[in-house]
Amino acid sequence: MPAVNSPFLRSGIRTSGMAVWALAALMVPATIYSILYSSPFIFRLIGYALLGMLAEAIYVLLVRRKLKFNHAGSALTATIIAASIPSSMPFLPMLYAILLSIWIVKLPMVGLPLRFNAAMAGRLFLMLVYPNQTVNWGTPTADVISTATPQELYHLEGFALALPQLLFGRIEGIWEELFLLVPGSPGETFPILLLLLGALLCFKGIIAWRAPVAFLVSFAVASAAFGDSVVFNLFSSATIFSAVFIVSDPVSTPMSKGGKVAVGILIGVSSTVIRHTTYYTEAIVYAILLGNLFAPLFDRLAFSLQGRKLMRR
Amino acid sequence: MLRRIKIDWATLPNFQPLETPFPAPERIYPGLEEIEPESFPDFLDEIGLVGMGGSGFPASEKLRASIGAHTLVINGVECEPGITIDQTVLLHHSLWVQAGANATAKAIGAKRVALAVKDHPDQVAKLRKLYPEYDIIPFSDRYPVGAEKLILKKLTGKIPPPGTRPYQLGYLVQNVVSLRATGRAIIDGFPVVERPLTLTAPAARFYKNTIVPVGLPVREVLTAFALPYDPVRHLIVGGGLMMGREMAPDDGVEKTTTSLILLERAALEEKEHGCIRCGACNTACPLSLHPYSLVERIQKGKTDSAAFQAQMTECFLCGVCSAVCPSHIPLVQTLAEGKQCLP
Repeated sequence: MPAVNSPFLRSGIRTSGMAVWALAALMVPATIYSILYSSPFIFRLIGYALLGMLAEAIYVLLVRRKLKFNHAGSALTATIIAASIPSSMPFLPMLYAILLSIWIVKLPMVGLPLRFNAAMAGRLFLMLVYPNQTVNWGTPTADVISTATPQELYHLEGFALALPQLLFGRIEGIWEELFLLVPGSPGETFPILLLLLGALLCFKGIIAWRAPVAFLVSFAVASAAFGDSVVFNLFSSATIFSAVFIVSDPVSTPMSKGGKVAVGILIGVSSTVIRHTTYYTEAIVYAILLGNLFAPLFDRLAFSLQGRKLMRR
Repeated sequence: MLRRIKIDWATLPNFQPLETPFPAPERIYPGLEEIEPESFPDFLDEIGLVGMGGSGFPASEKLRASIGAHTLVINGVECEPGITIDQTVLLHHSLWVQAGANATAKAIGAKRVALAVKDHPDQVAKLRKLYPEYDIIPFSDRYPVGAEKLILKKLTGKIPPPGTRPYQLGYLVQNVVSLRATGRAIIDGFPVVERPLTLTAPAARFYKNTIVPVGLPVREVLTAFALPYDPVRHLIVGGGLMMGREMAPDDGVEKTTTSLILLERAALEEKEHGCIRCGACNTACPLSLHPYSLVERIQKGKTDSAAFQAQMTECFLCGVCSAVCPSHIPLVQTLAEGKQCLP
């Protein structure tokens, strides 16, 4: 009989369950997107998820010489990449991005103090290698043309949007009639719904609230400081999506409470700076990778600060 | 997972003692009037009192050190989830608890007696009637509020510095069951020969508070309540779900056995996975320590830094970090080993 140690009571959350919950939450906006804009996006998303699982299965088979089929984490990575780029992205670049993020960024770095968000690494790869497809914000219908997200419109042409349109995620009026515009990537189209899902995940104990909340607050404050519209910046260009699914990532953010808050603020401020001072509206990718880079430092700082606080009493 | 047993906090049923009649007391101990600060610790030694909240620290030592403390705190905040002996003792043995508390307060010269209880409004209202002259301080229902450090944190407003004992701050924290034993010796003349404990088998939906003679084998306790026990399938946990340990059926019930819990072995075996650095242990730690960072340093042998020493001293091994870990890493076991690294 194996020894069983205290505590004999567990919270019931498991690592595999965490990824499954996040995956399920991500499927909700994707399904609504598919239904509203009648695109086969949800099926492709499921396909990408399976592709991610297959990639991890192959990796595990080659490196650890055993076969397992419980890879919700990789499925989540692949799904986040797919949901954060236009649904018109062709298959081959997606395949490259998924393999790169899972085989090079995600799995070899398991257990290290410094870990990068694999989905953001794959997204960065797509942005750098396939820039044209990555900004092709349209629906995959007959009349697809390259169009801008609301954030880009606002940024380049001073085209402001009314709040309800932002919340619901659909530009109406003459633009809509011409091109059937859907602003942004599939994952980011329903900010209010995403906020609710984030609250649910927090409540279930899947994600920690500190980093996302620090990110959103610092982002809003920094936007206001730069004189941009706070509401517009918050509800466009995947800000809420990043807060719920990417900044909250348990793997690549610091472990300590203070470190989580610090990284949230770092990501929020740096992404606002990039967004404001450059023409990049996709600032969040760089900001998150920057935050990941600082995670071990913040953890070590928090550890020694807590020690000092205890000694001073 | 364990099946949930609903506990009605307002009307906890009385103890169901085992039918083992104690012999009549051989001698009568001094009454409440004859309590003296000099002789009281010896009296506690004579009845064989140890900290019955689970620590097992000799009560006489603690009392000798605490003479002159201004407040006696009755710790009725059950530390472990799912155990209700402290509350049941408070409700049904108030005579003994009061006698013990008054005697202890008189011996150390405490002006104020504070009663720390869990915040169940119905129960608190009842206790206010039973203990009119004590200060009732309600605590939250969250494990581990019953730890001495956290009780003092609520009373004094900040976490006491590492290494300090409550008496240095002018407090004496005594468990309810210890005080009940003191009162029983003073009133009835019985030394510490019985142990109130929670006996539960969640799978069989069995839940009882009982009084067991100290030293009775666990197997006989289970037989007395007709609980089926199969060593392959079942696991007996003595002393709470969080800090308890596995007991063999022939082990005797000790003075510190706060509970006997019969669990299904299959539901408990969990495979350990790699850490995903989610920080659930950091968030859950009641003292805001960094459990996984500590464990990492213990495993690598980097235990010299002042920050490590300070945090390791502070940790009281409550086990919350292990309980919330989604990877089922035995954090608290490693932390217990890490206590050896301290000078």
